[in-house]
Amino acid sequence: MAPDSSLSDRLFAVDLDDDSSPLFRYTFYGTTLLILLISLFPFYYLLMLALSSPGETTSAGLLPAGFDPTSFIGAFQAVPFHLYMRNSLIIATGVTAFVLVFASLAGYTFGRMEFRGKRPLFLLLISISYFPGATFIVGLFKLLTGNVTVLGVSSPNLFNSPAAVGLPLTALSLPFAILLLTTFYSQIPDGLEDAARVTGTTRIGALYRIIAPLSAPGFVTAGILTFITAYNEFFFSQLMTTGSPQNWSPIVWGLLRYQTEVSVRYDLMAAASLIGVVPVALIVLLAQRKIVSGLTSGSIKG
Amino acid sequence: MASSNRTATQKASIVPNSLRRSGAYVNNWVENLSETKFAYLVLAPTLVIFTAIALWPILFTLRTSMYADSFSQFTGAFVGLQNYVEIVTGQRGAILIRPFFDLSNPFQSILPTTMIYTAVSVVLITALGFVQALVLNKTFRGRSIVRTAVLIPWAVPIVIQGMIFYLMFIPGGFGTRILHDIGLVGARPLSNSASTVGIVTLAAIWKRSAYVALIVLAGLQSIDEHLYDVAKVAGASRWQQFRMITLPQAIPTLMVAMLLTSIGSMRVYGQIDAIANCSTMPSITCAVVGTFNGSLYGTASALAFLTALLIGSVSMIYLVVLSRSRAGGI
Repeated sequence: MAPDSSLSDRLFAVDLDDDSSPLFRYTFYGTTLLILLISLFPFYYLLMLALSSPGETTSAGLLPAGFDPTSFIGAFQAVPFHLYMRNSLIIATGVTAFVLVFASLAGYTFGRMEFRGKRPLFLLLISISYFPGATFIVGLFKLLTGNVTVLGVSSPNLFNSPAAVGLPLTALSLPFAILLLTTFYSQIPDGLEDAARVTGTTRIGALYRIIAPLSAPGFVTAGILTFITAYNEFFFSQLMTTGSPQNWSPIVWGLLRYQTEVSVRYDLMAAASLIGVVPVALIVLLAQRKIVSGLTSGSIKG
Repeated sequence: MASSNRTATQKASIVPNSLRRSGAYVNNWVENLSETKFAYLVLAPTLVIFTAIALWPILFTLRTSMYADSFSQFTGAFVGLQNYVEIVTGQRGAILIRPFFDLSNPFQSILPTTMIYTAVSVVLITALGFVQALVLNKTFRGRSIVRTAVLIPWAVPIVIQGMIFYLMFIPGGFGTRILHDIGLVGARPLSNSASTVGIVTLAAIWKRSAYVALIVLAGLQSIDEHLYDVAKVAGASRWQQFRMITLPQAIPTLMVAMLLTSIGSMRVYGQIDAIANCSTMPSITCAVVGTFNGSLYGTASALAFLTALLIGSVSMIYLVVLSRSRAGGI
C-alpha cells in the first residue's frame, strides 16, 4: 500500500551514517551475512542433493556428490508429483476466491458500518481463529462425510472432492482475511461514499461505483496471504484426504510418498521439494511489499 | 462519453423489462432498510458459511469430547468429563502413542514434549526474529534482498520445511555430519527423541522467525526518532541507545510476537510428521491425529480441547503480563 511504503521510507532514514564505528559496521554486515546464510542455505543444500548421483547423496555437502540433474525428471516418474501440485494449486485458488468473496462482504460491513452486535460478532469471528485446527477436525469430518442431517436434508458427502480440504482451509483463513479487509475498508475515507450517497447514488450503487474500485489493493493482499496459507497447510490437507492424487490429495501426500515409496532416493525428495516451493517463492519475489504490509497490519491490530 | 452512453442504452434495451423492474425493486428495498438490517443483510452469507464450517464443527467436537469412544458407532454413551479426566490422569495410556504426562521420560511423553518444544522454540524464534528486525530497520544497500531472503522460509509449505530438515538430518546428512562430529547428536539423530525435538525446533526457528521480524519491525518503526536525537546529543553510545530506547520500546511488540509464536508452537504436528514421526516426538496434536485415525473420536475431541485449553491459559498469562507492562506506562 502506498502510504505504508512512504512511511517506511521515512522511518528507515536512520542510516549507517558516518559516525558509525568500524566495529559496528563489521558486526552489522557480519550479522546480515549470517541471516542470509541461515535463510538460504537449506535451499542450496536441496539443490546440491538434487544434483547428486542417486547412490551418493549422503556425501553431498557444499558440492554435489557426482553429477546427475535427471532427478528433476525422475521425481515425476517415481511419484505423480505434477498431479499433487495441480490439486494443491486448484484447491488454493478455489479457497482464495471463496475467502475473498466472504471476507470482503464481512470486511466491508465491519469496517464501514455501525450496527447493533458489531463488536461481539467481530470478536467471535476473530477468536475462532485462535482455536487449534484439531478442535475442528471431528466436526468437519462428520459434516463432510455427509453424516449431518438438518431438517431432513443430509449434508452432501464431499470426501474425495476438492471441497473436503477446501472448506476447512476456508474456515481457517477466513478470520484473518476478514480482519485484514476490515482494517483496509475502515481506512477508505467516509467522504467519498457520503458524497456519492448525497448526490443520489443508492447503497448498492455506492458499493459498486465507489467501494469496489478502491478495494483492489486490499483484495490483492488478502488474496496473496490466503493463497499462501492454503497452499502451505498440512493438518487438514493430510487428514481430510486419502492420499491418492485422483481423489484431490495435495502436495503434503505427494512429498510424504517419497519418504515411504522411494526411501533412499534423497535426490528425488530434494528435487520434488524444490519444485513444490516454486509457486510460493515466485509470489514472495513478486509481491513481498504486499505480504509485509498485510502481515503487519493484520497482526498488530489483532 | 458519447460511446459509453450508447452502450448504456443498448444494455438497457437488452435487459427485459421485468428484470429491470425487479432490480429496481431490490434496490429500493435495500435503500429503505435500517443501517443494522442492511449490515446483517451483507453479513448474512459470511455468517452462514462461517457457522457451517467453523462454529458448528467446533461445537460438535466439544460435544463429542463428552461421549465415550465406540467402535461400532460414531460415539458411545455420554460420559461427561470422564475423557478429560482419564487422559490427564494417565488412564488412557493404552490408546495414546505415548504417556500423557511422565516426567521421568519428558521427551517421550505428550505434555512435557509439547511444553519443552514450545518454550525453547518461542525464545529462539523471537530472538532470531528480533535480530532480523534490527537489521531490516537500517538503510543499507541490498536491504530488499535481505528482506526477500528472510521472507522466503516463511512462505515454504510445512511439508517442504519438514522435508528439508529431514534430508539434513538423515544418517549421513549434512547437518548430522556436522553435529555428530562435534558430539551433539548420534549417527541417527531422527530416531532419538531428544535430538528430534532439537531438530524440529531448528526447523521452526528457520521458518517462523520472519513473521516475528515483521511484527517487531513495525514496532521499531513506530519509535519516536526524537528519542534517538536526544540520546545522541546527550552522548549515548549505540549500545546505550539500544538498551535505553530500542529494547524497552520494543518489549510490548516482542510480547505480542511471543504470544502468537506460542499459540503456533503448542499445536505443532506437521513438521513432526514430515521430519520424524509422532512416536519419536509425541506432541498433543500428534495424539489427536493418532486417536482420530483410530476412530476414537471421544478421546480425539477431548485431546483437541485440552490443546485449546492449554493455548487459552498460556495466552491469558501473556495478556495479563502485557496489560501490566502497558499500565506501567512505558
